[in-house]
Amino acid sequence: MDVILAAIGDAFTWQALLAIVIGTWAGIIIGGLPGLGSVVGLTIFLPFTFGMDVITSMALLIGVYCGSVYGGSITAILINTPGTPQSAATVFDGYPMTQQGRVDEALGWATFASFFGGVLSCVLLIFCAPQLAKFAVNFGSIEVFALVCLAMLCIVGISRGSLLKGLVCGMMGFFFSMVGSDPITGADRFTFGTYALSSGLDLIPVVVGAFALSEVFVRFSARDEEATTIPEARLRFPSWREIGRRLIELVRGSFIGSFVGALPGTGAAAAAFISYAAAQKLSPRRANLGKGEPDGIIASESSNNAVTGSAFIPTLALGIPGDVVTAMMMGAMVIHGITPGVRLMADQAQTVYALFVVLIIVNVAMLILSKPSIGLFRYLFKLPLGFVMAGIVMFSFIGAVSVRGNPLDLVVAALTGILAYVLRRGGYPLAPLVIGMVLGPALESSLRRGLLISRGDFFSFFTHSGIATTLFVLIALFLIWTVAAGVLEWRAKVAARREASSAQPVSE
Amino acid sequence: MFASLIHPRILTALALLLAGGGLSVSAWQGPGSAMLVPRIVLTIWCAIALAILIGELVRRVPVKNVKLSPLPLLMAAVLIAAIATASLGFLIPALPLVALTLWLFRIRRPLPLLVGTIVIGGGLWFLFHHVLLIRLPALLTNGVI
Repeated sequence: MDVILAAIGDAFTWQALLAIVIGTWAGIIIGGLPGLGSVVGLTIFLPFTFGMDVITSMALLIGVYCGSVYGGSITAILINTPGTPQSAATVFDGYPMTQQGRVDEALGWATFASFFGGVLSCVLLIFCAPQLAKFAVNFGSIEVFALVCLAMLCIVGISRGSLLKGLVCGMMGFFFSMVGSDPITGADRFTFGTYALSSGLDLIPVVVGAFALSEVFVRFSARDEEATTIPEARLRFPSWREIGRRLIELVRGSFIGSFVGALPGTGAAAAAFISYAAAQKLSPRRANLGKGEPDGIIASESSNNAVTGSAFIPTLALGIPGDVVTAMMMGAMVIHGITPGVRLMADQAQTVYALFVVLIIVNVAMLILSKPSIGLFRYLFKLPLGFVMAGIVMFSFIGAVSVRGNPLDLVVAALTGILAYVLRRGGYPLAPLVIGMVLGPALESSLRRGLLISRGDFFSFFTHSGIATTLFVLIALFLIWTVAAGVLEWRAKVAARREASSAQPVSE
Repeated sequence: MFASLIHPRILTALALLLAGGGLSVSAWQGPGSAMLVPRIVLTIWCAIALAILIGELVRRVPVKNVKLSPLPLLMAAVLIAAIATASLGFLIPALPLVALTLWLFRIRRPLPLLVGTIVIGGGLWFLFHHVLLIRLPALLTNGVI
């Protein structure tokens, strides 16, 4: 208890609080600009931390990290362009709500769900970090394969009305993730002799092209129409009654995010899609998902922000960074004398608990700063459409090229933008493309490692462990559910059509 | 008969099928272990693309009146600027791209066009490249521009 009180004292210094406010606000703005995300934000702020003490520097970086994950949802809702890949799932329901004139409600739910997910994962982190770390270790390649297969099922849900087109886009995204060196053997795949392609296609240029640049093209082709005007950004927090009605969705999304974040190598984007897939099956309002249903925003935003807390579990407890962002945070910790690993909780418990307290304060700061930040976006989007679109093109270019410094990423972004525009015009949903690209690497590497473990016997995957069996049973149940629901829907449609034709008066 | 086949949806489905087929050939010629998953993915891709193509041919959605639009110009400008960045650095291709985007979105009065180009193109480049020190591709080896 003394350690926790001392940690609270460490976190509530004026320097740390100022760093939290600056970091969180900057993170929200950076996350909201298409192409710029957590990595760019941390890259900008890392050099500023060198002269700071441990807690202040980590407060600044955690603020940027959490703020950027939330900030991505603002442009996802306002202009159909997720600021970060983590917010790609927020587009499914956020933008339809904006088109229906419910932008304030959508932003309110995104903000509250982000806060709720972030705080719940911090509480879990404080009380369950060692247990979660132990459970996460039980997830080997085969279990991760089953989990990712489960998440892939959300392609079926978001491709309603164009399942085949959704599936082909999913395969396209999966293919994009396989370009470059093979993760197991190191052999080049689909590089066609181009050295720059050996490092593969990065997710950010593809997301920037698919959403930001294609949106510029779509708005250009419809620039005379009323629908291209960007609505005024407003925020209305949900009432306690509304929160009570959707509490289960908030808790479910937060738990999924907390759990997925604890698994090394998954990340917030994967968590958001897994949570959205769960909402498609379990939400009482699942029939409205994809058409402007707050449950979709809650599923995505509560889970991706829950990852920001739980991603520290493998990083701090095991010394394994889950993704690029946590790897950068781990680097910053080492610079400031914190050595993540199994001995950390024993050797530096006060510092670790202070970081947990900082995480909670960051989420509260995010809630408070959301209104002024959205106000800033309101002024930005009040500019004539040409300035906004030119700004999106520039930020897309900067975001695409700044992640790896590889100019080929710009070409990838431009080509993906053109491809995405053609696909959108043909009625192909773009979200499966991103899902395929986000989940593809985890699916492939876990499948191939699993095959190595089981000596090529795929059928032994189903009986490998209790966790794997449970997950495969869930997949089977989801598939049966989806097929049965599809058949019932089809029968209802046929019956309705018959009824309508029989109700028509017969002309003689 | 032939004219009705030239429909954007049919052409898109056909292009997807051909792209999937071409990539499949490359996958089947590659090493077995590394290409195991790509072969499965591309086979599914081709099968689905074929089903979509058949569906589009059966459905025969009527062709809308095609209007001449400067959109291909914007697309080409984006692509050319992206390709040129590798050799010309970030700033030089970005400035005309921003100016063209503004002009196409009907910001055509000289002062707003000029200020917009300088602030959005040059200003953001300067902010990221020189102030925030996030190095963007440069023309000169010393990185000034």
